Amino acid sequence: MSDGTMTQQGEGVTEALNASAVDRIGMSEPEWLSARRMHAWDVYEQTPMPTTRLEEWRYTDLKKKLDLDALRLPEIEPADNDPETWPSLLRATLDEDHEASGHIVLIDGHVVHSDLNADLASQGVILMSLHEAVAQHADHVQKHLATNAVPAEDGKFAALNAALWADGIFLYVPRGVSLDLPVRVTRWISESGAALFSRVLIVAEAQSQVSYVDEVVSDDFVAQTFTSTAVEVIAEQASQVQYVAVQRLGRGAFYHSVQRTLAQRDAKLDTLNVALGASVTRVDLNAKLLGPGASSDMLGLYFGDGQQHFDFNTSQDHIEPHTGSDLLYKGALDGNSRAVFRGIIRVHKDAQRSDAYQTNRNLLLSNGARADSLPNLEIEADDVKCSHGATVGELDSEAKFYLMSRGLDLVQAERLVVQGFLGEVLAKLPLGGVVEKVGRVIEEKLAQHG
Amino acid sequence: MPSNDTIQDLNLDEYKYDFVTESEPVFRAQKGLSEEVVRQISAHKDEPAWMLEFRLNALKVYESKPMPKWGGDLDDLENVLDEIYFYVRPQDQMESSWDDVPDKIKDTFEKLGIPEAEREVLAGVGAQYESEMVYHSLREEWSKQGVIFDSIEDGLKNHPELFREHFGTIIPTGDNKFSAMNGAVWSGGSFVYIPKGVSLDTPLQAYFRVNQERMGQFERTLIIVDEGAQAHYIEGCTAPVYSTESFHSGVIEIIVKDNARFRYTTIQNWSNNMYNLVTQRAVVGAGGNMEWLDGNLGSKLTMKYPSCYLMGEGAHGEILSIAYSGDGQHQDTGGKVVHAAPHTTSSIVSKSISKGTGRSTYRGLLKVHKGAHHARSNVECDALLIDDTSRTDTYPYIEIEENDANVGHEASVSKIGEEQLFYLKSRGIAEDEAMAMIVRGFIEPIAKELPLEYAVELNRLIELEMEGSVG
Repeated sequence: MSDGTMTQQGEGVTEALNASAVDRIGMSEPEWLSARRMHAWDVYEQTPMPTTRLEEWRYTDLKKKLDLDALRLPEIEPADNDPETWPSLLRATLDEDHEASGHIVLIDGHVVHSDLNADLASQGVILMSLHEAVAQHADHVQKHLATNAVPAEDGKFAALNAALWADGIFLYVPRGVSLDLPVRVTRWISESGAALFSRVLIVAEAQSQVSYVDEVVSDDFVAQTFTSTAVEVIAEQASQVQYVAVQRLGRGAFYHSVQRTLAQRDAKLDTLNVALGASVTRVDLNAKLLGPGASSDMLGLYFGDGQQHFDFNTSQDHIEPHTGSDLLYKGALDGNSRAVFRGIIRVHKDAQRSDAYQTNRNLLLSNGARADSLPNLEIEADDVKCSHGATVGELDSEAKFYLMSRGLDLVQAERLVVQGFLGEVLAKLPLGGVVEKVGRVIEEKLAQHG
Repeated sequence: MPSNDTIQDLNLDEYKYDFVTESEPVFRAQKGLSEEVVRQISAHKDEPAWMLEFRLNALKVYESKPMPKWGGDLDDLENVLDEIYFYVRPQDQMESSWDDVPDKIKDTFEKLGIPEAEREVLAGVGAQYESEMVYHSLREEWSKQGVIFDSIEDGLKNHPELFREHFGTIIPTGDNKFSAMNGAVWSGGSFVYIPKGVSLDTPLQAYFRVNQERMGQFERTLIIVDEGAQAHYIEGCTAPVYSTESFHSGVIEIIVKDNARFRYTTIQNWSNNMYNLVTQRAVVGAGGNMEWLDGNLGSKLTMKYPSCYLMGEGAHGEILSIAYSGDGQHQDTGGKVVHAAPHTTSSIVSKSISKGTGRSTYRGLLKVHKGAHHARSNVECDALLIDDTSRTDTYPYIEIEENDANVGHEASVSKIGEEQLFYLKSRGIAEDEAMAMIVRGFIEPIAKELPLEYAVELNRLIELEMEGSVG
């Protein structure tokens, strides 16, 4: 139930987040971009701060979870391009990512390194800092940035991001070009108390193929640190795109990601969101199926402990006929952690002969854990196949019993059952490097549970 | 089984309850809701002071609450309510002998088949016409055992302590805007008490009839099923078709004590200009068992979510819900189960059929509180869409605070399978007949739980609605 009538202007305008900050960032930029930022800022000011009265924010109370007033824009000078000076955790993360078509490294929101296979570059593939792409590839960026996928009108935080983004990633794959190895992006955040805004823009032209893995890591933070990412993925006709986000932030982080994927005719656009770290994780993911034959697999995996809070807000929009979507979000919750899954399938009037599925499964490993699941359907076409399911439960005692009868102790048996439970998600999008890395973090978390 | 003739007699070619009885009420309050109307109702009922206070307080709560923004479209409701008669008194006193009921009202219920049904199978019958119960009777064998089956007004008069102890405790006035409205203007409904260990082997039945145009009906029912007792209560609702909207907002409170069993069956077949906004809730004690069987076939908009609060260890709650939404109808229904004690179990099964521009919405809550370990629950929703203009939604809320619990929710949406149709047609069955068969199969798990006369009616309705739905 929302009252909707009370619109307080200027909610969330702070000493650091304000119109003059937008001016400052946009100063050296082309006019179209600074105008777009100012427009986004206006939308931000006019949009009320979401409260738990809004259905989409029912279980995440921003009043308690986010202190915007205490945040400041990053002050640390952009780091060096010299890996020797980078933090060891960042280097360790990168060391595992040797198999790639190209890399980008961001430290505190700024791109400090980028490389791309020379062959691919000569075929017209572009991988670079979004900041640079504004200058070098204005045509693509101006067309897609915060327009069709994640415009400022998409909500309070989409507007804030569109106004204040500092840098990000631009990936462009020309028609018919295939990238055999994934593009790997690694982000490191060190500045406690900062608010970081970045964007990802991926444009895959017709019949191209690309996988993109974006991982964010950090140590724990003393003060709340806010990271906001707006992700726009555009998959043109018959292209195949995989987008993977792995979040391994330290405690004290508030991770917010607004993602929208646009799949045109016959495109296959799959996403995987892995959330393991941060104190608060909020992902708003919308998949739009815009042409006949388009399909999206949407995968999610989370493992919470301590006081961690996860909130996944997903939607599957079937706009054209013969489209398919299949969502599977699975999580294990230990300690006093809490997960919210709110998903909606919308089958629009014309989207006949569409198949849409949605499954959310939660495993509660401790007495203090809590899970809320809201799998929704809105179906306006009659010739469709749709189903959804949600479960919340404890560890399967029969599976545990079986393993123990084979000589495993309780702790080992529990770990195996949890790994099997979560492994189902990774098995559906088995990208090299991701499976091992995520598997290891899960093991570490389980070791603490034992 | 009824003979074929009986089935033919039901003659469901049109909304068969669309007839108006010309009868003058003995009193009709002015249009709209005001303190004066509330005071008039209370005075007519000769109520104790605490009840008048309760009503006036409820009116304040009603006025302070905003119109809900969720669920169905209530945008026009405020205008509708201004034009509605909140209280219409059809006769001076309630009768316990059918012969004493005024002829015109009697005719109405004869057409609905009520005294007939009573003679055959029921333990007791109540009938409400406009704002008041006009008739209430209970078989002697049950009244001898201490069973109470009264109009709610007589419950308040004759059993003041039992009444006051429970009234408004299950659904407090402030629960929602419409429970507050009902608190202010409630009139009619049943008061039922089943003593410890008494088990009624035939159902109690209440009929609700709205006859007047622009009428608001606000029944209030309070049912107490004492320890180890068993009973089944059936409610049926109809109204004639007018061009203006009518309004029905009931509050049903049920207390199922330890080890008691109770089933509440509603079949609402209101005319398609009725707003039907009902709050129904049961609390269930240890080892108790509550079943809601909720059938929504009529009305313009229904918002109704029968709920079970499982308060005692081992309590069980069950909600079976079936909705049919034809042209212009919106059934926003579902169920709520709250597990507040260990080893509690529940199940919700919801089936809906949307046809033409009809829209069926399942909205449900499943909550397991901390400490309700070994709670088990399963929710299943299936929706059938007949036309490309039909719509269905599913909004389940699942909130789990206890790790030692297992809950599941599943929903599916489909249209009638071409393969199924093809198979039946290949066996020589006409297409609309085949469709009706498939739909009947779809709702069978719930239809088989219905009292026979309603099951027959439901089947006939489906057959009829499927005719001409082909192509």
